[in-house]
Amino acid sequence: MLVAQRPEAGAPRPYRFPEFSRLDVAGGTVIACHLERRPIVSMALVSRVGAAAEDVAHAGVANLTAQLLGQGAGGLDAYAFAVAGERLGASWFAGAGWDATHLGFDVPTYAVPQAAALLRSALVDPTMDPAELERLRDERLDEFAADGARPRTRALRELAAQLWQPGIRYSLPQAGSAETVERIDIDAVRRWLASRLLPGAAALVVAGDLTGLDLPAIGASFFGGWTGSGWAGAGGDVAAATPVPGPGGRRVVVVDRPGSVQSALAIGTPGPARGGDDEVALTTMQSALGGLFTSRLNYTLREKKGYTYGASAQYDLRRDGGIFVAQSEVKSEVTAPALTDAVAEIVGMRDGGIRDDELDDVRQQRVERYALAFASPRGVLSALTDIVVYGLPDDYFDRQRDRIAAVTKEQVDAAGRTHLRVDDLVTVVVGDAQALAGALEPLGLGPVEVRADERAD
Amino acid sequence: MQAPTYELTDTRLANGLRVVINEDHVVPVVAVNLWYDVGSRHEEEGLTGLAHLFEHLMFEGSQNVAKSEHLKLLQAVGASLNATTWCDRTNYFEMLPSHHLELALWLEADRMGALTFSQETLDNQRAVVQNERRQSYDNQPYGGWMEQLQQLAFPPGHPYQHSTIGSMDDLEAASLDDVKEFYRRHYAPNNAVLTLVGDVDTAEALALVERYFGAIPSCPDLVGAPDGTASPIIGEEIRRTIPDNVPLPAVFMGYRCPPFGTPEFDALTVLATVLGGGRGSRLYRELVLEKALVRPSEEFVGAFDFVGGASLLIADLHCAEGVEPETAEAAYDAVVEAALRDGITDDELARARALLTSDVLGHLASLDTRADAFSQHATLFGDPALVNQRVERLLAPTAEDLVAVGRAVMRGDNRVVLTYVPDEAAATEADGDAEAEEQ
Repeated sequence: MLVAQRPEAGAPRPYRFPEFSRLDVAGGTVIACHLERRPIVSMALVSRVGAAAEDVAHAGVANLTAQLLGQGAGGLDAYAFAVAGERLGASWFAGAGWDATHLGFDVPTYAVPQAAALLRSALVDPTMDPAELERLRDERLDEFAADGARPRTRALRELAAQLWQPGIRYSLPQAGSAETVERIDIDAVRRWLASRLLPGAAALVVAGDLTGLDLPAIGASFFGGWTGSGWAGAGGDVAAATPVPGPGGRRVVVVDRPGSVQSALAIGTPGPARGGDDEVALTTMQSALGGLFTSRLNYTLREKKGYTYGASAQYDLRRDGGIFVAQSEVKSEVTAPALTDAVAEIVGMRDGGIRDDELDDVRQQRVERYALAFASPRGVLSALTDIVVYGLPDDYFDRQRDRIAAVTKEQVDAAGRTHLRVDDLVTVVVGDAQALAGALEPLGLGPVEVRADERAD
Repeated sequence: MQAPTYELTDTRLANGLRVVINEDHVVPVVAVNLWYDVGSRHEEEGLTGLAHLFEHLMFEGSQNVAKSEHLKLLQAVGASLNATTWCDRTNYFEMLPSHHLELALWLEADRMGALTFSQETLDNQRAVVQNERRQSYDNQPYGGWMEQLQQLAFPPGHPYQHSTIGSMDDLEAASLDDVKEFYRRHYAPNNAVLTLVGDVDTAEALALVERYFGAIPSCPDLVGAPDGTASPIIGEEIRRTIPDNVPLPAVFMGYRCPPFGTPEFDALTVLATVLGGGRGSRLYRELVLEKALVRPSEEFVGAFDFVGGASLLIADLHCAEGVEPETAEAAYDAVVEAALRDGITDDELARARALLTSDVLGHLASLDTRADAFSQHATLFGDPALVNQRVERLLAPTAEDLVAVGRAVMRGDNRVVLTYVPDEAAATEADGDAEAEEQ
């Protein structure tokens, strides 16, 4: 016989965020976290400057600069630099998010000192070959073409352009656009490196099994003797222009793709910046609306109606602003009812608030899964990076679990009323405009504009 | 570098359920991983896609668990969970705080022992899977490549000749009786491996497993794996040009190769890394850094982990803007031919070995992927402890072994070449998320 009775939970094991140390050495900071038996260490130089700080005409320069630094350094060309790392069993990563730039390696413990030396040479003695930049630029353009072919990314790109005023950095994708990337030459990269990336350099963050590593010596070699504009440590000037939203009110943009068997939907508004007082309440509400498999959007569109393989909603919270976006890809013929259902769920959450059982589930889910996020070196690296980039207190991740556990229905509902701006929902549909003709106007989602799909960028 | 050896307990319940436990108390988390020895290769003609469709039904309720409750209960305790279907297996897994282990065992046992079936649920999940097919295959740039390679690289009727997602027609035709029979013949304790990795006490955990799974009857007439024997090579070069609504041309190649688990497959894995793994590979150097013919990839070449008779080595090239696929393919051929003609250097071998060692160490460091590896080796090779030999096995092949296996596999009369070219007139449109997860 199967056991009919659902088991009770055992006693929770105590949990604390892994201990980490800060080491100030040779004018720089090493933040290190030892994780038992995690033999591949994640190590990154973190700069507090990312794509949001770019001049919009050169959108993409942060990312291209980070990538170019890995294309040869210390007298090695791109190939030799790659081999030097890979001979150590190390994998290079480099890239810029909105608010930060990372460069580093996932590397076995024993090879951390050598990998740190390679990373240092990429920062202080990069080859900066214009031909390599040209190649990276072309690769990026090919990637834009591939992104544009995917309705989901195409829809998000259109949504960003709709949500922010033209000229605002957030109106373009994080990696920039074909037009802006084509403009980035080696001088622009050099300028970015010297005036933004390096002055914003905040710490060398290391997470994994650090057994036997002499971190002060590694830090001294990494930061010592650097004669450029210096490891500012203080973070440099990270302020970006305040993002200005586009016009309010509901509207619909259809990006026409004749013959599509699915429509990609993105429904969004501008959202708040990181660090608001109601952030935990906001993310709790978002989980109930569209953050979990069991959340309202996925339940209705997938489980109840069978319109889609999945539906979700999230807030992308950045240092200077953010967006809310609900997304799904649905069978073409159910585009209109799927939009109606999705918007009804958003409005329903705003007007009706979170149910008690949903709040209990989301709160418990977030508290319980807290430890899972920090079980791997990359997970810990990401948390430590947030501390550095957003200036969070060192005990932030130790205390965040309690804040999540303490959130109330009143707080969640207030966050929904403030941030679910249902009168300003912008709806983007990437799909077959002819098949949808006349179907979207009656939905109350505002005026409908159809755009040809320019595929080049 | 010395790879860690993972201590494990490997035992069976009286009903045949194999149980593998590896204690790891670094974080208060446990990974629960269950492999059923059934995949798309077990499907009968006219029922392609059934294994994967069935996987969806496993989330839709059982004797003591209501529809949708499985996910809801696990998510509520912070679990990350999913399931996947592949040619050789279907796996179900969750990672959760270790004090909720019992809940996960209860849920897995309930759906192993007494799944609920209804026409309504079948119809709903059929629609979800058909949407998944649209999203990941039919409406995705290049989305059909794997299905086509499988179809062309194996002889008609071969177990690997059809895709895991199955055909729209077969999905449409699957009946409630088909589904029930599939469950009876495959979803039994004597056809499964349950692995626990993490913050558990082995004796306590075994007692819990016995409590929840012990009463589930075994199946007396399991369906074994079909015969996947195939001639070692295809015997010809098969080429297809596919005009599609894709932004840039791409070339996908498939070679029939020895199955996963053989020394030849290990050698092929190392050769694939020499040729196309990381940024210091021959293909990266020649096709990306020097000639800028293709979009960068850190895995130009790789082998599917099929075990039944034969597997498939894959190479894919996405052309850079303005590059003809013939040019990219010719450059690729030249790199492969030079390596197999002139041999592999010590430096190249050392680079590949270091990268592969780090891959395995990183893979096994995470509780969930380690648990999956134990289930995999227990299911496919009969011994979970073989996981501890992964690094050793990848370090074993010599440069000569690499060349020998390369010459046997990467030959003109043993490959399928699919060339995707942009077709402005194609009406079908591309689509989003390429994620492989099934939920």
